Order: sequence, then structure tokens, then C-alpha cells
Amino acid sequence: MSQPPTGSRFVLEGVVVRHDGGGGAPINALDGVALAIEPGEAVALVGPSGSGKTTLLSLLNGSTRPSAGRILVDGSDLTELSPRQLRLVRASIGTVHQDLALVPNLRVSQNVLSGRLGRLGFLASVRTMLWPSAEDLRSAHALLERVGIPEKLFERTDRLSGGERQRVAIARALHQQPAALLADEPVSSVDPARARDAVGLLRELSRERGLTLVVSLHNLDLARSFFPRLIGLRGGRVAFDAPPAEVDEAAFEALYELADG
Amino acid sequence: MSAARDAEIGRLWRSRPRSRFARASVVAMLGLVAWAWIGGGLVPSELLSARRLANLERFLGEVTPYPLQGRTFDLGVALRWAGDLLVERGLAAAATTLAISVAAIVLAAIVGAVLGAPAARTIASPEPWLPDPRRPAAPVAFAWRGLVTGSRAVMIFLRAIPEYLWAFLFLAMLGPTAWPAVLALGLHNAGILGKLGAEAAENASRREPQALRGLGASRAQVVAIGLLPMTLPRLLLYFFYRWETCVREATVLGMLGIVSLGYWIQDARARNHYDEMVFLILLGAAIVLIGDVVSAVARRVVRRAS
Repeated sequence: MSQPPTGSRFVLEGVVVRHDGGGGAPINALDGVALAIEPGEAVALVGPSGSGKTTLLSLLNGSTRPSAGRILVDGSDLTELSPRQLRLVRASIGTVHQDLALVPNLRVSQNVLSGRLGRLGFLASVRTMLWPSAEDLRSAHALLERVGIPEKLFERTDRLSGGERQRVAIARALHQQPAALLADEPVSSVDPARARDAVGLLRELSRERGLTLVVSLHNLDLARSFFPRLIGLRGGRVAFDAPPAEVDEAAFEALYELADG
Repeated sequence: MSAARDAEIGRLWRSRPRSRFARASVVAMLGLVAWAWIGGGLVPSELLSARRLANLERFLGEVTPYPLQGRTFDLGVALRWAGDLLVERGLAAAATTLAISVAAIVLAAIVGAVLGAPAARTIASPEPWLPDPRRPAAPVAFAWRGLVTGSRAVMIFLRAIPEYLWAFLFLAMLGPTAWPAVLALGLHNAGILGKLGAEAAENASRREPQALRGLGASRAQVVAIGLLPMTLPRLLLYFFYRWETCVREATVLGMLGIVSLGYWIQDARARNHYDEMVFLILLGAAIVLIGDVVSAVARRVVRRAS
């Protein structure tokens, strides 16, 4: 019961996400994307800024509604779920946001324990925050140990460095006991050496827990060396979807070429 | 394994960073609440004695419009009564109330801008936004600091005296026209708008002003071309929010004898015409509600445009 046996399976069918574009013509952040991500798979989303990586991730965890098309998580269509069902699906998907999005003036333990909010009622969650059980604390401590900062358990989160905060965000996602882990540009908040560590850690964690892993990355080298499958996005469309060996330099360069260049 | 972990968690918990100040303020707050309830003379039984209940019943009887008292309800009569009241004094008083609020908030914005700009430390410093290549002479630095402190002190003074007391003061000086209300609301809100504006200026991003300053712009240029456009949406939000408050306060200030709605409310009460009084109070509520809606729409438009 504590660990789902396999990760989530994601299927996107003809997904379009249209933004109003601030008074101008509507912009399609995603424009007819169809793809499937199998349980336990590790996928890197690559592409320039504005290519739709973040939008795609926010579709997978049910925080953006598609303007058209369907998103299936383990067979259930996110656009057709009741609020309660949607909450359960969200609780099963851990996300490490680009800006980490931790509550800055809570203790690290509280931020980690907040990962379980999706499965708790209101009163139970308040109790967990104010008077965590020994079991909760053990679990939070073990997760922090796993990501390498156990001694920060009771520190205030805003006193931590960027790299440490990122690890707290990962621990929070893991405390969800998720079936999938999503990470949006996990390298943007840390220096290059730590970036490598962070991506490696995400990969290891998802492998040892059987989680589906989807990570958006600017850095092509990191994407190539850690992920068996790369999805290149450009202008809201899938430019390529292949193992790194089959994606050559020319394909990468085409991905980043300026549209009007 | 688990015991070792628990021991480690216990050690981390005992050495956790903690704030004495936060604890002390929680204790102080609980103490204050207990004191206010027990020692402050708020005895609940005073609210509901038998005599008071009888009073309340009589009052409710008198609230019925006069032409309808002791008769069956007739909508036509009630509407005619309300229409007469509106034409007789309601509309004129409502217009005065509105005029007072508009004049007051414009006055507040002008005075607030004059006082608020020098109160922002980012604007009022010897070399604003960028590090000073030379050390400013001591008297120069002192003068700028004095300007900040001085303008803040004036604004604190304006805020410290409530609108009601300002109006009382001006009424004694100027007599019963609309001006005491305009000046009272204008000055009090100048203190508020000035402070909020100064804070908006201090909290605005420094990068853009720094870039403008760095290409040789003067202090006034940076404020007019950088800081003002950046903070304008926020300033307009404050402006409309305070205007909304002014509409409400302009009604209340009438009770001092200024011919806004509050005057006629007071007047009706003095003549024991409780039906009129309640009608005018409801009219006041309607005006405030309209003010709220206009302000909410204006702020929404500003927010969307920014």
C-alpha cells in the first residue's frame, strides 16, 4: 500500500493549449501534441524557452486545462474528472517546480510533510503541520537523509541555500509517495556542478522507486547523458521523440534556431 | 535503526532555531484578549436587559414609514413617501456626499504626492539608486535624511488625527459648509496615500531606475519616466480604494452639521422620525455600495491594463 508498484502512464491526444496573449491574437502554447509516456519511463523535454515545456508539464499534473484534446493519466481523462478525483490524481504526481515554490517561512519538516496534503483532510493536515507524529518526522528525516540534508530538518526553509531548497522540494514531492515525478528546469536554480547532481538524483530516485520521470531541460548534454528518451519541442509542437543516439547535432540545432533567423 | 533516527530527530529538535520574540508575542496577545473580555467592561448581560428589549420593540414599530403606520401595507403609498423624501433632501444630500468625496480624494492625492515623494528613501538620498562615487558631504546627507524624516513626520501627524476630529476642528474655523469635510478627508487621506505611495516607490524594482540613472537621468527624470509608470497601477489601486472610504466617511461626517447625508440622518433622529432616519441610512448604504462597485470596476480595469 505504501508504494505503487509501477509509475503513472501518461497519454496525450491532440492536445492544444491556447493563451489569450494579452489582448493580441491568441497564442498556442501547445499545438496538437500527441504522445505516450509509459510507466517507469524517464523522459527529458528539451527545447528553447517558450517552446511549451512548462505547459506540457503542467498538463501532466493537472494544473492546466487543455483548450482541446485529452490527457489520460493511468487511463482516466483529466478533463472529465470530478474535483475529488482530480485531487487524487494530483496527489499521485510529485512536481518539483522551477522556482521550487516552497513556503519560505515554514520549517523544512513542515514543507516536506506538506507533500501529503493531497491525501489529508483539513484538520488532519493542520495537526500534521503543528504537531507532527513521530512517524511523520521519521519519514521526513529519512527522505532528507536520502537527498543529503538530514541535519536541516527543523531549519526555517528561507535560511537554506538554493541547492538545499531544491532538495527540500524533491523531498516534498517524494513524501507524496507519488507514482510519477515531474521536474521543471531543475538546473535553473543551481550552479552547473549541482545541476548535474540534481538531475542524477532525480533519475536515481525515480529508478529505485519505479516512478515515471519527466524533466524539462535546457541543457542538452545533461538530457543526453541521463535520459533514454528525448522529446524535442519547438513552437508548441513535437519536433522529435527518440533515444539520444538517434538525435544528432543537426536536430538539436534546428530546435534552437531562431524562428526568423 | 528507528531508535537511532528518533534520537537524532530529538537532538535536531532541541537545537532547532526558535524565536523568543514570536513566543512572547503569542503570550502577550492571549493575555490582552483575556483582559479585554474580562477587565474591559464588556459584560454581555448589559446587551439584553428587559428594558432594552422593550425599547427595541418600540423602535421597530416607529421604523415603519409614517403614512403606513397602523394601516395595511400599500406599495403605492410607500413609494410615494420614499420618492418625496428623495426629492426633498435625499438626492441633494447624496450629491453633496459624492462631491465631498471626490474633492477630498483629489486633494489627498495632490498633497500625498508632494509629501510622499520625499518620504521614499530611494528617491530622497544624496545619490539615488546608484552607489555614490564620492562620499556626500555630511551636511548634504543630513539634509536629505531630514527631508525623509520631516515628510514622514508630517504624514504621521495627518494620519494620527482621525477624519472626524479634523472635521470638528475645521468646522470650528470655517463654519458649517462642505469645506470642513473636504479638508478633513483630504488631509487624513493625504497622510495615508503619501505613506502608501512612498512604500510603493521603495518596494518597486530598483533595476529600471538604476539603468536610467546610469545613463545620466536626473532624479526628477527617473521618477517621472521610470518610477511613476512602474508604480502607477499600484498608486491608482490605492487612490480608488481610499476614494471608496471617503464616500463612506463623507456620509458619517454629516453628523457634525455638514449638509451631507449624515446631517439629515442626525436631523431625522433629533425629530424622532425613525422611519426617515432608516430610509436615509439605507440611501447612504446604497451610495457606499455604488462607490464600492465603481471603485472595484476601476481597480479591475487598472489591474488588467497593467
